[in-house]
Amino acid sequence: MRKLIFFELRKIMAKRLTWAMLLVAVLLTVLLHVSTYQNKFAFDGQRQETGKEAVALDQEIAAGYEGELTDEKVRQMLSELMPQSGPQGLNVIYIYQNAMQSAVAARFSDMEGNWNGLSVSDVFGQEKIKIGYVDGWLGAIQDMTKVFLCLSVVVIVMLTPVFGGEYGGVEQLILSGRYGRTKCAAAKAIAGLLAAFGTTAAIVILNVALAFVMYGKIGLDCSILFAPLSFTEGYIPFNITCATLLKYRILLAFTGIMGAAGITLILSALCRNQMTALPAALAVYVLPALLPFAETSSFFRILALSPLYQILFVALMSVRQFAGSLLYAIWALPIAILLMAAGGIISGKIFAGHQVSA
Amino acid sequence: MMELKMTDLTKQYGRKMAVKGISLTLTGGVYGLLGANGAGKTTLMRLLCTLQKPTGGKILLDGKDVEELGEEYRGLLGYLPQDFKYYPDFTALDFLLYLAAVKGLKEKTAGKRVAELLAAVGLWEESRHKIKTFSGGMKQRLGIAQAMLGDPKILILDEPTTGLDPKERVRFRNLISAFSKNRIVILSTHIVSDVEFIAEKIMVMKSGQVIHFGSPSEITAKIKGQVWECRVPTEYAEKYAARLNVSNLRNEEDGNTLLRVIAKERPMEGAVAAEPKLEDLYLYYFRE
Repeated sequence: MRKLIFFELRKIMAKRLTWAMLLVAVLLTVLLHVSTYQNKFAFDGQRQETGKEAVALDQEIAAGYEGELTDEKVRQMLSELMPQSGPQGLNVIYIYQNAMQSAVAARFSDMEGNWNGLSVSDVFGQEKIKIGYVDGWLGAIQDMTKVFLCLSVVVIVMLTPVFGGEYGGVEQLILSGRYGRTKCAAAKAIAGLLAAFGTTAAIVILNVALAFVMYGKIGLDCSILFAPLSFTEGYIPFNITCATLLKYRILLAFTGIMGAAGITLILSALCRNQMTALPAALAVYVLPALLPFAETSSFFRILALSPLYQILFVALMSVRQFAGSLLYAIWALPIAILLMAAGGIISGKIFAGHQVSA
Repeated sequence: MMELKMTDLTKQYGRKMAVKGISLTLTGGVYGLLGANGAGKTTLMRLLCTLQKPTGGKILLDGKDVEELGEEYRGLLGYLPQDFKYYPDFTALDFLLYLAAVKGLKEKTAGKRVAELLAAVGLWEESRHKIKTFSGGMKQRLGIAQAMLGDPKILILDEPTTGLDPKERVRFRNLISAFSKNRIVILSTHIVSDVEFIAEKIMVMKSGQVIHFGSPSEITAKIKGQVWECRVPTEYAEKYAARLNVSNLRNEEDGNTLLRVIAKERPMEGAVAAEPKLEDLYLYYFRE
């Protein structure tokens, strides 16, 4: 069985297209993270920095207010960080000077940059909000989402030939062999899932490593709720730390891609060949995003657990918080296990029952 | 001795009957399957390899239904399909090792057996070359080698000599003859001489049915007295060939051509009755 799995893995990984697409995922990772890092901007009234220096300046500014968010800190930040006027009549609230200024402006400033009268408890209730420099990790996690979306397509392309690729004629040799319908079919499914898991792990490690190199551990223990404007409107509304967010991002990357792998294996076995299996798998994968259900609809809660929404991350992460760091998104785990098991078992059975066409 | 029995075996695709109620019992030996394109040979072979489920009837191995035997039956099978693909980026060695794993050969045994078979089909030198670099004949030889992996007790070969040059065909025939002891070997081919040399029994298929089954001499006896040799002037040979069912045509030094004609009655004055061969039989049934 191990030998069969080894051969099946080799078949998947020997394809040039697989490596070309993995290279695209790696390049996209580097490009997105480096570009986000290079485009960082920070201004503290005296120094204006970009890139690495901007991150350092942002971290330096955030260090001055680190700890629990209080009304005093809000007022201190408003007076120290908010600009007095915007250029060409632009409302001050929309001016970005640095990550902390943008965060305080997003929650506590009126259009002119003055305090909007809301207290910390008015905005966040009884939640204790630990503040710090979170912009780096939030940006990195946003980039990871784009990379994982690309990776999910790579995995679908990679796995469509697992069964479908055999239907061109090799299946006659396999299915007439002693273990062709049993161990070999199982080995194919296992190898497919292993390939999906391995590539996901490699890309996840690369992404997290790059983010660590750029932002270190700074901000990982801080709440995602006190973040710059771009992570306030329509972003995850729960008081979780960046570290928790990162853990969920990694978890949902694995669950989403493994779930997509399960679906792909079934369609690979079901379709007449890999050329029909690929569009079928892609269609099933993107279908949930095309269905007309609003995020407020109760059906959306089920839809949000589809592999695509697991990869897209924010909508699923925003559904519900059970308690502390336990979010509704945790349901993605049993769903992924179910899809993987179904993918492995059903695809094997379809392949085993395949009738060579006339 | 092992017994492979087909009882009323039928395969239907929509309204088309590819195999019509075949009932045969095969024991050890080489069986040649003759038939024109569309006669149902490939479907019959696929049914025997469990690659297709019969619409009716059963295949029994020593009295047991092969569908129920499953792995146990397939463990005894070796199959060379007529049209099949390879993994172009695999070497011949890896391809056979992969199929050895599918067939359940242990790693140590597999390596040894694969090397032996590659040598037997004359591919040892190229065993580490990628299959995409192989010629059609080399791929066919690799196909023959994979079919013989695991020393199958039932070897089914669909058009095994396609793409082989005369020397390779001789090598193949010798290989099969040596291999066939205490096994059931079924081979279909359009090249009648291949079957004539090595098959002990011939099955003639037409329109999904086995219309004749027996030894080559038994089969050809059916057309005894219907094969003639006639000598005609070479300039008229083509005229005769168009009018008669000619199985062979040979120019002779004296300006005449010797025609081998299949006809129920003497086709012309001077025609001499000849001993029928399989090729004559093939033409007799599949003239159209």
